[in-house]
Amino acid sequence: MGAALKQTDAGGQQMPRRKFLAWLSGVGLVGSTVAALFSTYFFMKPRATYGQPNRFRIGRPEDFPYGARVAIDSKRVCIVRDGGKIAAISTTCTHLGCIVAPSETGFQCPCHGSQFDVDGNVTGGPAPKPLAWFQVSLTPSGELEVDKDSEIQTGTYLNV
Amino acid sequence: MRLALAVLSLVLLILAGVVIYGQFQSHWQDSQKEYLNQALAMAKTPAEKASLEGRDPKLEQNIVASFKDAHGGTIVDRCESCHIAVDDPRFDKGNEPVRTHPYLAQLGDVQKNGRWERKHKFSEFGCTTCHDGQGHGLEKADAHGEDDAWPYPLLGFTVQSNWDKSIALHVQGKDYLQANCARCHTDKDFPGTPLVTRGRELFFKTGCFGCHRIQGLSSGTIGPDLTQIGKERKVDYLWGHIVDPRAYTPTSVMPKFKLSDDDRKALVIFLKSRQGTTLAESPMEAFKLDTSTIAPVPESAAAVAATVSANLSTSARGEQLVNGYACLSCHKLGDHDGGISPDLTYEGLIRDHDWLVSHFRTPRSRIPDSNMPAFGLPENDYGDMAAFLLTRTTSPPAMSPADTYKTLCARCHGDKGDGKGVNAIYIDPAPRDLTLAEFMANKPHDRFINSIKNGVPGTSMPPWGKVLTDDQVNGVFSYVWATYVKEKPRELKPRKVPDVNPVAMSQQSVDRGETIFQARCIGCHGKKADGHGPNSPDISPRPRNLRNFAFMNSASDHRLFESINYGVEGTAMPSWLDYGLQQNDVGDIVNYIRSMNKAAK
Repeated sequence: MGAALKQTDAGGQQMPRRKFLAWLSGVGLVGSTVAALFSTYFFMKPRATYGQPNRFRIGRPEDFPYGARVAIDSKRVCIVRDGGKIAAISTTCTHLGCIVAPSETGFQCPCHGSQFDVDGNVTGGPAPKPLAWFQVSLTPSGELEVDKDSEIQTGTYLNV
Repeated sequence: MRLALAVLSLVLLILAGVVIYGQFQSHWQDSQKEYLNQALAMAKTPAEKASLEGRDPKLEQNIVASFKDAHGGTIVDRCESCHIAVDDPRFDKGNEPVRTHPYLAQLGDVQKNGRWERKHKFSEFGCTTCHDGQGHGLEKADAHGEDDAWPYPLLGFTVQSNWDKSIALHVQGKDYLQANCARCHTDKDFPGTPLVTRGRELFFKTGCFGCHRIQGLSSGTIGPDLTQIGKERKVDYLWGHIVDPRAYTPTSVMPKFKLSDDDRKALVIFLKSRQGTTLAESPMEAFKLDTSTIAPVPESAAAVAATVSANLSTSARGEQLVNGYACLSCHKLGDHDGGISPDLTYEGLIRDHDWLVSHFRTPRSRIPDSNMPAFGLPENDYGDMAAFLLTRTTSPPAMSPADTYKTLCARCHGDKGDGKGVNAIYIDPAPRDLTLAEFMANKPHDRFINSIKNGVPGTSMPPWGKVLTDDQVNGVFSYVWATYVKEKPRELKPRKVPDVNPVAMSQQSVDRGETIFQARCIGCHGKKADGHGPNSPDISPRPRNLRNFAFMNSASDHRLFESINYGVEGTAMPSWLDYGLQQNDVGDIVNYIRSMNKAAK
């Protein structure tokens, strides 16, 4: 076969075929390398980690009386009920991540004295940003579900 | 060459593509897409629609914070990645896996304002806490534990490929979930787990507690400890092992109990619920439990007492104990036959009070190789049981010798007289094979008549002379001879055998006897002289256990000398005079055997 190739090389007619084959090999190898790199990169980030899930249920609307401000420390979220409206406000301080506690004026951070109003806006202390609001939805089974993966505009309530 | 390279590189590209595509296309994503599509169609408000449209399939997992799994690990359940609709009541008619988990009042779920509310919330309990299965798995076979290697297949729903087909049918059904309810609901009569309660009752009623220990419940030592059996075995093993212990463990001494399928199921569920520490206990509580049972106070005694009415005469109380507890799951009494252990119908004629009570206390004090466990019941229960058995003093009605054999002898010696009666495998020493003419014809008749009339100490052969008249005994013997031995008694050669051991008992003699015994006899009789030498499994009848003190002490020097000097015809015991032993050597061996049995007493 080598001899045959050499002959055709001399003829000069088969060069495009050679080039085509080289090109094809190149595409195959580069393509699979890219695919491998892509998948390696993708799978570096785990699809699930051993943390508490970010979407969780907190109970039924009737569990929260009007005007309630219930902090769930294990989930780092405070459920606020204002009349027929419900919202979930993060209780993670935007300064250094301590758990803030609801107070009469809003929220207070025990670590460095940051203060927030009832809507989580900063009113004092080192906190750089207001507390996040998370999406609350009503599941078909009638329970409230908080999704900490989706932050929403401050002051957006769910009507129940 | 270049062509090959080009083709190879393309193949590589396609392979990489297929592998990566496969990684992104999982079954759980399909179920979630199906769920999202259907939910979108059901959505009523625009807001709901918008939130559903914004949702991508995502791995769902529950990390259970309240308690640990059976091995102390964190429970991570990803079941809801496929079973995405478990908490969505609209999917109660959906197809698995997109289907609502049923709301059941039995589980404590309640209806409030027309909506069901779960008592055991999935976010608190996870899924595998009740169902078993592998919470991490994302493929059906992995998650449900269908792979042989997974230790906890989905309880009651999964049949693994290596499970015996005949068993597989029996271990299916949601009833098996009760085993996991009982991991937290440990109360004795918890209404939600009737099968666990029934299983616990059977554990005592069929006598399991006599052999098996369960921490805090029983203290038997003959069989394996079952405290954690539910963690160690799958349900198919438990079922199969109860049906036929030797199919799973060839050396098992556990009898095949006569149980109905329902009872077996209850026992399997009860056993599956035994997981050592329950989920409700902290390790500290488990530790306390462990030390508190060093001196066992078996619940068995209380369980037994609870079934017996007070204010009864001793024998009536004994009757309740014998009937209600353990005894009749093995023994025969009147019409009831457990098929495992000797007939108690004529016990009052055969045994006396002392024999019975000491046998209850330690069965091996009377029959050294008995498989009966020491049940550890209170002493006055033993007295009452003995009092009841001693009322069984009615002899059987006069029968023809053939019928007598059938009624009294066949259970052990077999209908064919070959020593393979229904309960023969549980009896050690084994019942004599009456068809073995070589043995039968070479022994004097007196010896057989004597064995029938007075029984054989240290074995399960009872003294029938106390039940039958001499004529009946002779009749049965003639029947056996004519039906099974079928040979004329041979003329016995006169043998030179001393009546009393001529070698005086002394430590030197015992030592010499031990040396000879360990050199010549252990192949069959074993190093410990217990009849379990390396050759013993191949020998029938089995070599004698020379530490059966009850038997050995009843055997005369004359008999021992005859057996050793001349061998025993029809058995593997050879004539040791032919093998070079002298009379003095035999005397030393006899002294050695006697010395062991004195100590054993």
